[in-house]
Amino acid sequence: MTIRIGLPRGLLYYQYGSIWEKFLQELGAEVVVTGDTSKATLNCGSGLDEVCLPAKVYFGHINDLYKQVDYLFTPRIISVAAGQYTCPKIIGMPDMLRSNIDNLPPLIDVNLNLRQNSRSLYQAIITVGHMLGKNAISSLYAWYHAWQYRRMDQAIRYSKPNGQRIGLIGHPYIIYDRQISMNIIDKLNHFGIDVITPEMISNRQAAIAAKTLGKKIFWSNGDHMAGAALALIQSGQPVDGLIFITSFTCGPDALIGELVSQRAQALNIPCMLLTVDEHTAEAGFVTRLEAFTDMLIRRKQS
Amino acid sequence: MIVTFPHMGDMSIALKELFTGLGRQVVLPPPISKRTLELGIKYSPETACLPFKINLGNFIEALEQGANTIVTCGGVGPCRLGYYAEIQQGILKNLGFNFDMIVVEPDIVDIIKQLHRVAFKRNFWEVYLAFRLALAKIHAMDSIQRKVNMIRPREVSVGESDFIWRQTVDVIDAAENLSTLRTAWHKGESELDEVKLKSGTRPLRIGVVGEIYVMLESSINQNLDWRLGNMGVEVYKTMYLSDYINGHLFRKREYLKKFKYLADLAQPYLGHYVGGHGIKSIAHTVNMGQEKYDGIIHVFPFTCMPEIVAKNILPKVSNDVDIPVLSLAFDEQSGEAGIVTRLEAFIDLLRYRRVKHHLA
Ligand code: SF4
Repeated sequence: MTIRIGLPRGLLYYQYGSIWEKFLQELGAEVVVTGDTSKATLNCGSGLDEVCLPAKVYFGHINDLYKQVDYLFTPRIISVAAGQYTCPKIIGMPDMLRSNIDNLPPLIDVNLNLRQNSRSLYQAIITVGHMLGKNAISSLYAWYHAWQYRRMDQAIRYSKPNGQRIGLIGHPYIIYDRQISMNIIDKLNHFGIDVITPEMISNRQAAIAAKTLGKKIFWSNGDHMAGAALALIQSGQPVDGLIFITSFTCGPDALIGELVSQRAQALNIPCMLLTVDEHTAEAGFVTRLEAFTDMLIRRKQS
Repeated sequence: MIVTFPHMGDMSIALKELFTGLGRQVVLPPPISKRTLELGIKYSPETACLPFKINLGNFIEALEQGANTIVTCGGVGPCRLGYYAEIQQGILKNLGFNFDMIVVEPDIVDIIKQLHRVAFKRNFWEVYLAFRLALAKIHAMDSIQRKVNMIRPREVSVGESDFIWRQTVDVIDAAENLSTLRTAWHKGESELDEVKLKSGTRPLRIGVVGEIYVMLESSINQNLDWRLGNMGVEVYKTMYLSDYINGHLFRKREYLKKFKYLADLAQPYLGHYVGGHGIKSIAHTVNMGQEKYDGIIHVFPFTCMPEIVAKNILPKVSNDVDIPVLSLAFDEQSGEAGIVTRLEAFIDLLRYRRVKHHLA
C-alpha cells in the first residue's frame, strides 16, 4: 500500500510546495494537498493563541488533513540561507502542532538549517527518504528531479506607459492566499493596476537593493521583501506606489513595514500599510484600496 | 560625546558606572513614565513589541536632555531585538535628532571593541577596572534582590526588606570602587538577615519565566515581584541580568552546562531554539514542575514571537508535569486592575491545590 502524506497549503508551501510535492511523489508516496483556504479553515485555525493569521491558517489546514493521512509533511525550516532565519513561529510550528492536537499522525519534521552550512539540506533529504524506505542515492535523485520542476523566476512586467504600477509587498503566503489577502491582486488588476510582487524581483536584484540598508536583515522573507521594495522604488522607472500587506501581530513585518515606509517616504513614493486578520471586513478593505489607487491616479495626472 | 542607553530594571546603575568610568559624560533617560510610554507609542510601528516602544521613548527623552550618543544592543535574530536599533535610528533621525548610535553586538569581542570606541583618554587597565566595577554592581544588586524576594512573604513588618533594598541600591550606585561596593553589599545582606520573620509560614513558591525585559522592568510588569511577595508568595525569577551576562557573554562553564541541561528538558516539547528565551520558558517550567514549585507565571510583551511559541506549548507542559501556568502578555494597555485580578485568581487556585494535595 502506498503511504499517504499530507501537505498543508500554508506558510512556506507557497514558496516550496511544488518541489516538496514532486519530491514526495518521486519517493513513491501519495501526496494529499489541502484545498484553498476557506472560512472554515480560519475557524479551525483559532486553536493557536495570539499567533498571526498565516500561522492560524496553517493550523487550520493541518486540522483538515491529519485524519486522512499516514504522515504530515511539516519540515522544521529554520533557515534557508546563510546568516538568516525564518520566523520563530515557523521554526516552532511542528511543536505547536504536537502540543495542540491529540492523535496526530507522525510528523515529518526534519530540521532544515542552512544558516551555517548547506549540508543540512542533503541530510534532510536523506532522512525523509529513509522514513519512506528509500536509500540515500534514490532520495537525492528524487530531490534533483523535483528541483527541475521548480517555478522559474518571473521577470517584471512592464505595463502600458500610462498605467499605474504598484509594488505589493508581503509574504507569499499572505499575498497568494486569496482568503488571507482578500484577493487583493485581482482587485487591483480590476482597477486597471499592474501589480508587482516580491516574487517577480530576482534574488540578485533584491539583494543588491538591500545592500543600502545599515544592517542586513536576518529574516529571509523579510530580507527579500525589503530588498524587492527598495529595488522597485529606487529603480530608474520606480513604481507609482507601494502597498505593504501584513498580518496583525506579524513580528518581523512590524519592523520591515516601518523600514519600507521610511524609505518610500524619503523618495516621495506613497506607501500604504494594510493589515489583515480574521476579522477584516471586505468592504472597508476595498474602500482603502480604492482611496489609495485614486490618490495615485490624481498624483500622476497633476 | 554624551552617552545614554535604554533602561531595563536597575541596569542603568551599572551602565552609568561603566561609561563614567570610561571618561564619558552620561545622561540617564528619565525614569520610565507615562510620557516615556506615550512618546514610544506615538512614534513606533503599532505592533512593535513593548520593549521597542519604551526604548524609543527612553532615547527621545534622553536626547531632549542633551545626550548625543546612544549605546544600545544588537543581535542576529530571529527575535526582533537584533533589528531594533536600525529602525529606531531611522525614526529618531526623522524626528530631527542629531546623534550617533553605537550598536553593541552580544559578543564579548565586539563589546570590547565598542567600549574602546567610547573610552576617552583611558588606558586598558582603566577600562578593565570600569568594566569590573560595573559587573560587580550588577552581581551585588541581583543577589540582594533575590534575597528580598525570599523575605517579602515572611517579614513581620511589611516593607522592611524593600526599604533596606532601596537604601542598599543607593549606596551601591554611589560606590566608587570595589571595596566600598563590597562593604555596601555585605551591609545590605546582613541587614536583610536580621529582618524579623513570621514563624511557621510556608509561602507559595512561584517561578517566573519568560522574556527578560518584562521580567526585570518593574514599571512594565506592574511591580510583579513586589505584588506577589505581598500576596504571600516566594518569587523565583529565572533570569537576572547577571545570569544573562555570565551565560551569554562570558559563556561560563557552569552556565553552559545549565543551558544544555535545560535544553534537554525542553527538547520533547520544543525541539529547536526559537530566539529570545522561548526555549528557557519551557525548560524552566519542566524543571520547576519536577521540583514541586506551586506554579509558574509566564510573562512577555504582547506579540513577542519566541514567547508566543512557548505560550502555545506551555499548556501541554503544564499538564504533563502537573504545574499550573499563568501566561501574561503585557502591552501598553495592561492596566493594574486586570493584572491584579488575574494574579489573585491564580494564587487562589494554587492555595486550593495545596490544601487538596495535603488532604490527599
Ligand atoms: S513572518 Fe509574520 S506572518 Fe510569517 S509566520 Fe512569522 S509572524 Fe507570521
